[in-house]
Amino acid sequence: MRFILRRLAFYLVAFLVAATFNFLIPRLMPGNPADVMLAQAQGTLPPEAREALMETFGFINEPLYLQYLKYLGSIFTWDFGLSVKYYPTPVYDLLARALPWTLFLTGTATLVAYALGTLFGIRAAWRRGSRFDSIVSPLALALQSIPPVVVAITALFVFAVTLNWLPAGYAFDPSLEPSLSGPFLSSMFFHALMPVLSLSIVLVGGYLITMRNNMIGQLGEDYVHLAEAKGLSDARVRYNYAARNAFLPSITAFAISLGAVFGGSLITEVVFNYPGLGNLLYMGVIARDFPLIQGQLLIMTLAMLSANFVVDIAYVVLDPRLRRA
Amino acid sequence: MGTTRMGRDVYTQLVWGTRTSLMVGILAGFIVTLIGTVVGLTAAYYGGATDEALNFATNVVLVLPQLPLLLVLAAFLGQVGPLSIAIIIGLTSWAWGARVTRAQAMTLKNREFIQASQLIGEPAWRMILVEMLPNLLSIIGFNFIGSVIFTIITQATLEFLGLGDPLSVSWGTMLYNAKNASAITVGAWWEMAAPCVAIVIIGVGLSLLNFGVDEISNPRLRTLGAIGKAMKLQKKLDRARLAEKEA
Repeated sequence: MRFILRRLAFYLVAFLVAATFNFLIPRLMPGNPADVMLAQAQGTLPPEAREALMETFGFINEPLYLQYLKYLGSIFTWDFGLSVKYYPTPVYDLLARALPWTLFLTGTATLVAYALGTLFGIRAAWRRGSRFDSIVSPLALALQSIPPVVVAITALFVFAVTLNWLPAGYAFDPSLEPSLSGPFLSSMFFHALMPVLSLSIVLVGGYLITMRNNMIGQLGEDYVHLAEAKGLSDARVRYNYAARNAFLPSITAFAISLGAVFGGSLITEVVFNYPGLGNLLYMGVIARDFPLIQGQLLIMTLAMLSANFVVDIAYVVLDPRLRRA
Repeated sequence: MGTTRMGRDVYTQLVWGTRTSLMVGILAGFIVTLIGTVVGLTAAYYGGATDEALNFATNVVLVLPQLPLLLVLAAFLGQVGPLSIAIIIGLTSWAWGARVTRAQAMTLKNREFIQASQLIGEPAWRMILVEMLPNLLSIIGFNFIGSVIFTIITQATLEFLGLGDPLSVSWGTMLYNAKNASAITVGAWWEMAAPCVAIVIIGVGLSLLNFGVDEISNPRLRTLGAIGKAMKLQKKLDRARLAEKEA
């Protein structure tokens, strides 16, 4: 319990740091949302409107610490201000629309990649030096250093443009009404297939290598030899003895990889025009939509911290030594 | 390699882009390694409150989503040149290296030769630079090469998203221009393929180099070499058994 509370306190501070960055960046850097809006309006807005716009976007004529406190207050009430590009839609609404898609994409892709990587890693370590190991492990090393953008573009070119098997963009066929019907779900599935798989390919290499190396370490331990000497079946020694203990460090590696997961989904969404947070962020960046970009960064930080927290809890559940401490 | 849809020569751009990408990668790798090593070593050597503070900072940077943060910084700076991209990436990506360096330096701290030099009364700078640093070279090298790969990939990504300076020529801006000319949808694959293949080759090449360096500097980590040895040993045993059966 104390462990969990300590982690929670840490995440709270980390979130505050991110919020502070978010507050400081636009105030330290050139450019501000009001000027962007004035430029977009191309002279249809009177110059006097600038003052009002600045206020709308939180640049109030007050001491910095008051601005900061107001900013923090607005964050904790989920008020991220109004989007510049989609004015006057609140940023919160845009984010709420995009978040489920990103969670769906990253969730499925990590699950697929983690399951495949772990299983293959166990197998490669168990038969170290076998043909399986000597093909899969170097391949995983190579996959690790191929950027998501290359994987996504290649998949898009091969399967959507050349072979025309899968749709090239969007999360579902725009002519269908969103519902729980068969045609809609199948359209969603086919639209998700390529983004999910290309994101999984990017992630699988790292998980495989970590699991393989942990597993090799465990296989040298005495308790594994004892289990073998007792005459337990191969599968039992492999999964119930060695893999279970090799699993713990691989979960830590999983937590560290979460940043790469969100980064990868960002690129994948842009390439496949998938309506998640990454694509929204991209639109925001192109239009220099500062409130949208800032809301994004906060939501992504929040998502990442929550995912880390879930991993922490999983760690406590899996490792009884931590429960007592 | 043909020309782009705008009539520019792909090969010339690729060669010129290699220069930019490598320069950015090495510069950012240098910054990352410098910060990571200084933070990691200081935290491990001094311990106590210094360690707590530095470790806390490292962990915070580690849990912040990096690519979105980079995007935001790049967006506020306007269209940034390759040099600024290198500096931004360098300043935001040091956490992993610091963590690994710290962990490794901590294990060194309890070794006998460190305790011996402590008893002789060596000053702190000598302890860190002469006693500890040489033993950490393999991990620092690993960190450097890893950061170069990461930077080259990230730079290409940022530029692909349109955050770079479109007038500078690099692999990322090549991808960006190809995307803007919708090269993929009209089937002009060579425009995309050239920078993609270049990034993949340098990424895979550098990571293989990394594992090579690792194997040379740290015999205990010889994973790939061990496979080869194990296989040779197995073959030898098999042959011996066959010979025994025949005899």
